[in-house]
Amino acid sequence: MKNILAAAFLTIAFSAARAQEAPRLYTLPSPFERYTHYLATVRYSGAMPLGSFSDSYIDKFSARNYSVSLEWVLRNSPLSIGGEIGSNYFQKRLPRAIYQNGDETISAVQTRTLTQYPIQVFANYHFLNKTSAVQPYVQLSGGAAIADYTLYYGSLAEQKQKIAPAYGIGMGSKFLFKKDGSVGADVRVKYEGTAFKYGYIEKGTSTINASVGLFYRWW
Amino acid sequence: MLKITSLIILTAVLGLTSCSKDPINDLSTEETLVYQTNRDKTVDYKQYKTFSIVDSVLVVENNQSQTALTEVDRALLNRIIINMQSLGYTYVAPSAKPDVGINAAWVTNTQLNVTTQPSYYGGFWGGYGYGYGYPNYYQYYETSESYWLISMVDFKNANTTDKTFNVVWDAQIRGSGIGSTQLVDQMVNSVFSQSDYLKIK
Repeated sequence: MKNILAAAFLTIAFSAARAQEAPRLYTLPSPFERYTHYLATVRYSGAMPLGSFSDSYIDKFSARNYSVSLEWVLRNSPLSIGGEIGSNYFQKRLPRAIYQNGDETISAVQTRTLTQYPIQVFANYHFLNKTSAVQPYVQLSGGAAIADYTLYYGSLAEQKQKIAPAYGIGMGSKFLFKKDGSVGADVRVKYEGTAFKYGYIEKGTSTINASVGLFYRWW
Repeated sequence: MLKITSLIILTAVLGLTSCSKDPINDLSTEETLVYQTNRDKTVDYKQYKTFSIVDSVLVVENNQSQTALTEVDRALLNRIIINMQSLGYTYVAPSAKPDVGINAAWVTNTQLNVTTQPSYYGGFWGGYGYGYGYPNYYQYYETSESYWLISMVDFKNANTTDKTFNVVWDAQIRGSGIGSTQLVDQMVNSVFSQSDYLKIK
């Protein structure tokens, strides 16, 4: 009887020990933790003009903003670096009004537009590790924006195209759809500014953008 | 990897730049109209009492001119007379030596423009160290713009040395539908109503 008990105890103890050792292969860190990997994000955002850009040119919410980014998520580091190109479009229609331009008086319906194609490099700092299903981050970015200022008086257009320095600061979070998966969502709120000055825009542009995106990561 | 990256960037650039739409295609015909008026700020309009107007519209096309008097031209001239009278001016025949004269013209400028295909469209393969051997392709396109030009000429103070009359006020009306008879009254009323300094009574 004693022997049977001892054998049973040993069997249990041994299998418990085995159970702890056997899955070692599966507890290796995820490749996303072990390697520097790539992450591509497509974003759609709503943007609201701020400050003097809003006061003097367009104060209307824009729902026509898109961007694509590609980033390198660094191994053993909470940082990722990358590049993002986007397209922002702002428009506002003003009812017929009279404008004074030097000695000239113009009566027209104004359609104010501003299109920007920002091209920026960015760095993200992540607060949690790469396997976490929720990965909050803060972002700093800088680069240039190709800006197109087109102001229509009726059907006549005054246009100025210029490349201006651009910068941004944002915070957001990535959400993995599946633990260790390659696909996820990205939500971000970002302040973006450019030094574009022309016509009614005297102090550059500033906007706050809220975006939702989808990302794919691979190594 | 470089290929995938390039492809992503290329797709993004094409995608982002191809979805722009015309911001003014929803304007009504009336909303496309632009009224521009210019004045000589040194002139005191109260010195004028009488005016006359041309009997037909001058049609200027690419610096060649002729006169015309279509239905819309007649409507335009009549509406100008009504506006001038309501500002306090007396309508007289050209032979009665008016203080100011009103000219009306329909101006059309046609321009032949040339553009080249920018070579940077081919930048995608630039990474292999080769440029493009294409010549620049030129594209021609023609643009044409018409507008009404109404001007007020000072006959009272003719410049005798140069033998010229000064234009003391002018108005330009641009936009789509400016040749439409229905819009004539509104167009002429607008250019006068934004020039209230012309009022002499």
